[in-house]
Amino acid sequence: MTTLDHQVGSHPIPNPSKSLITKLNMGTGTVVGAIFAVVVYFWLRSGEDMSVPQNDNRVLLISMFAWSVGFLVGIGAFIGPFRWLIGKDLTDEEQLFLAGEGQGISRYFRYCTDHKVVGIQYLVGVMAMLGVGGTLAMMIRTNLAMPGSKIVTPAIYNSLVGLHGITMIVAMIVVSTGPFGNFILPIMIGARDMAFPRLNALSWWVLFTAIPVLCSAWFLGGIPTGWTAYAPLSVQAGPGMNAFVATIIIFAVSTAVTGANITATVVTMRAKGMKWNRVPIFVIGATISVALAIPAFPTFMVSMIMTALDRTVGTTYFDAQFGGSGWLYAHLFWIMGHPEVYVILLPGVAALMEIVPVFVRKPLFSYNAAILGFSGIAGLSVLVWAHHMYISGWLPMLNGPFMITTEMISIPTGLIFLVILGTLWRGKPWMKLPMLSVYAFLWNMLIGGVTGVYLSDVPADNYLHGSMYVTAHFHYTLMGAALTGAIAGLAYWFPKMTGRMLHEKAGYIAFWFVQIGFQILFLGMFISGAEGQPRRVADYAAMYKHSDMISTVGAYSVGIGMLFLLWAVVHSWRKGAIAPMNPWGAKTLEWTVPFPVPLENFDTPPVITSDPYGYGRNEK
Amino acid sequence: MSSHESEHEETEVLSPTPGQKVSKFLERSDVRKSFGLGVFFTLVFVILGGYAYPKWMPTIMSTDMKANEHLMIAFTYISAPICGLVLGIATYTFLQRHKGDAPPEDGPAIKTNGPVVVVWSIVTSLFALLAIIWGITELNVGAEAAATDAKQAIVVEVTGSQWVWSFNYPAQGFSSTELNLPLDRPVEFKVISADVNHSFWPVQLGVKVDANRLETTSAETTPTKLGVFDIKCAELCGLYHAYMESTGHVMTTSDFDNWVTAQGGHSA
Repeated sequence: MTTLDHQVGSHPIPNPSKSLITKLNMGTGTVVGAIFAVVVYFWLRSGEDMSVPQNDNRVLLISMFAWSVGFLVGIGAFIGPFRWLIGKDLTDEEQLFLAGEGQGISRYFRYCTDHKVVGIQYLVGVMAMLGVGGTLAMMIRTNLAMPGSKIVTPAIYNSLVGLHGITMIVAMIVVSTGPFGNFILPIMIGARDMAFPRLNALSWWVLFTAIPVLCSAWFLGGIPTGWTAYAPLSVQAGPGMNAFVATIIIFAVSTAVTGANITATVVTMRAKGMKWNRVPIFVIGATISVALAIPAFPTFMVSMIMTALDRTVGTTYFDAQFGGSGWLYAHLFWIMGHPEVYVILLPGVAALMEIVPVFVRKPLFSYNAAILGFSGIAGLSVLVWAHHMYISGWLPMLNGPFMITTEMISIPTGLIFLVILGTLWRGKPWMKLPMLSVYAFLWNMLIGGVTGVYLSDVPADNYLHGSMYVTAHFHYTLMGAALTGAIAGLAYWFPKMTGRMLHEKAGYIAFWFVQIGFQILFLGMFISGAEGQPRRVADYAAMYKHSDMISTVGAYSVGIGMLFLLWAVVHSWRKGAIAPMNPWGAKTLEWTVPFPVPLENFDTPPVITSDPYGYGRNEK
Repeated sequence: MSSHESEHEETEVLSPTPGQKVSKFLERSDVRKSFGLGVFFTLVFVILGGYAYPKWMPTIMSTDMKANEHLMIAFTYISAPICGLVLGIATYTFLQRHKGDAPPEDGPAIKTNGPVVVVWSIVTSLFALLAIIWGITELNVGAEAAATDAKQAIVVEVTGSQWVWSFNYPAQGFSSTELNLPLDRPVEFKVISADVNHSFWPVQLGVKVDANRLETTSAETTPTKLGVFDIKCAELCGLYHAYMESTGHVMTTSDFDNWVTAQGGHSA
């Protein structure tokens, strides 16, 4: 507001309420998107023989993209670029309108450029996605409670697995960088907004258009391939697969935009005096994560474009019969897939690292080791992808080198542990919900990390690959570590994002139900995996019945805990105790601004003179 | 003794040697309690690893399965001290926790500790190196054994198709839907798929390899125990993936020869 004053004053503008921009929102977007999709669908259909799967796939896929583009047209995403094209730009008053000035709740349903609005949009969107993915997980575990279960058919079961997988992966990629990376991160570095506010709005609404596309898979026969979507199975799969392909391509656009935006913001818009060694560690972790996503996701997009071409026009990229190769798909997928798990993990870990010094009242132990840990993990993560292909038969002679790079990841991961332990050392941690999550993280990451070392070793992987053991391992890292970090971040930043304190008692109940249930759930899965139960099976032999029953019981406990957490969030958001400006006594910049955070965050730009971890009494 | 003591104290006041620093460090109660808890957790992991894996993992029926289980247990032992240390320190600080609605007093302002970072990095690197060397050695042992066994190995061509496994014994000249293997004779599985990717997993034999379309992959092992083993598919392959399983048998050479003859093959 303050910084736009000089522009507003300089040239008078006609009444903004006449501008088209003020009339567009999620509703107009949905309507235009639906019209685009329906028109394109029936237009392409006419004259085609729709009993040929290729034609059907082509029509469906293009209709899905038409929905996405139509929605963005309908919500006004292209008004700015169109004005540039004809040599103009948005008027200042339109820009202020886009920033959501004085619009109350309605700005959350518009193409809003305010980073705080985008952060809240991400938070609600991510919670919805986690809710859907979690419900699917409960259905999977219900079906697996007993052997010989006929609750769902194998076709539906395979779809549950595929949809659970991809919904959770998409949600987990944005679970920390979406809400906190957008809402908190710019304030943390003393910026007035993101470097590219309109791209910020674009990243959210592009992601939003992927959600109905993904949901449509359910009505098109499901995703029978798991989230890995290996070819040739994916080429053979029915129309639901188109939804998967379209979702990933749309999502890759969104992450590229977010990655560029957050990286540019942190590089160029830090407050005066915030040298690189004074940047809060969450900002470092989130930036390394999104920067890692920039090279990683395009290969996923490419693999999906090739899958789409194989399915729609009869190319044979992945068909061995005509010179293609299934291994090619596996490579493209895992070149994205392994960096991606660290894209998920790092922001969660970084959020926890931000939390520990505040609650232990000590400086972050060895800030440089933390950065080295993050960068080491990010650097090595692009060199390890073929450990997912040890037993694929593709060049067994390269298993050795990939084993070496994979096991080297334990060294930077060790530094992450050192930083957190060193900060805890000799401290008296203030046991609030965010701090409690740090302990859950240490335990879960330890289990996830050690089992990862087994799996990285080729001989052990010969036995464990594709078993429930792998499923348990990566849930320990992604859910036990990354999601725990994100929930800790929610509990920590909730007062700044909503102005209210998170209901403490419900939070604790949720924490214990989730964490204890989680241990039971995946202990059972480690056992069934070691016993030899493959993953992604709709049914299993009677010998695994005890371990699977244990897992299902644990899953219900996690489900109950998550419902408590949901209640806590919804209730606290509406009626929770009003939060003070800095409830935790933290020293990062986001706690220096009031709630509601003003449009451009700071009245006077902050000047930084030290790192934000100046806690602690000096000894001797 | 007493004459030396005064000298000793003087040097300590001026600048304690690293050895003195360490012994002083080890006398602190928080250090001792953390390390005590660490030893406790280490023992828990050692006992769990030694007890749980042999209990959970299926019967050892081949050289490879034996190596796998051995490796799982050994890695648990190796990682136990690191896990123990992490959990020991974490648990001790957890026991020191501060409750209430106001933040606790500030702790000591320890920004970093060079020697600790260096020692920690070296130790974790050594553990990683140990795991790497172990794994590479196992790989080589396996590869060498496969090379020497290749001449006398019985070859079984395995074809995965949605959703059955079928087996061909080329040297014996017959095909079967059953997989029977003679005891103590190396076997080489040559695996291929007729459609989408599968993964051939004879569970108790401890090997696994993907079945790809038009690309033959192979896995070798030597069955060491008579009995039944499970065959499963370990790569999601469509509708009935879960049911793509059967059983195989390891049998004595004479039983195997009889079976081969009954199938219309000839011994080789």
